[in-house]
Amino acid sequence: MPASSESITLTGDLHARPAGAVAVAAGRFASAVSVTTGTKSADAKSVLGVMGLGATTGQRVTVTADGPDAEEAVAALIAILGEATRVGG
Amino acid sequence: MPQVAPQVGIVLVSHSSRLAEGVAELAGQVSGGTVTIVAAGGTDGSGLGTSAAKVSAALERADSGAGVLVLPDLGSAVLTVRALLAELPEAAVTIADAPFVEGAVAATVTAAAGADLRAVAKAAEEAWHARKL
Repeated sequence: MPASSESITLTGDLHARPAGAVAVAAGRFASAVSVTTGTKSADAKSVLGVMGLGATTGQRVTVTADGPDAEEAVAALIAILGEATRVGG
Repeated sequence: MPQVAPQVGIVLVSHSSRLAEGVAELAGQVSGGTVTIVAAGGTDGSGLGTSAAKVSAALERADSGAGVLVLPDLGSAVLTVRALLAELPEAAVTIADAPFVEGAVAATVTAAAGADLRAVAKAAEEAWHARKL
């Protein structure tokens, strides 16, 4: 199965609303998707898991996907992490 | 309007109308505002308690064809929902055994992603295991 991975440095904190945006987007893909920061990793489809990462401005976050639409999932989530954490919430 | 697949609706049953409305507002914001979340809090006289009539109306409003997940807060809210559902054996309604705030947020986000009722209920119940720290 194809796997894909990409990292981004957060320009804002991964609060409830951006975490929600990440989980909603991830849930639309068939692939398994995870978000990792430091030593913590969460299922990107779980909003509570993503919030539980407690990821903040300046931290490096990695999105990894495994499945038929892995590349699209990673691209979508990296875009959301770049946009949503800039707006905050 | 573009055709959109129906999403699972969410009904929040609380003793307090303000609590139900507040959680509905929070879950709506976190999930991007696409899911129908109906608050059914308080008694018919707006006191603390639950109302079968309010829950029944909320279930109808929340159903857009993909079923409804109901989250009760405590005690008699659970009893009210269960008694009501016993009278509606055909309804596509599931009660979530889940923490009220976290379960509502997790369920709504999962519904917003287009998941079915079973997956939405599972997301709510998995909220028991989500750590805050």
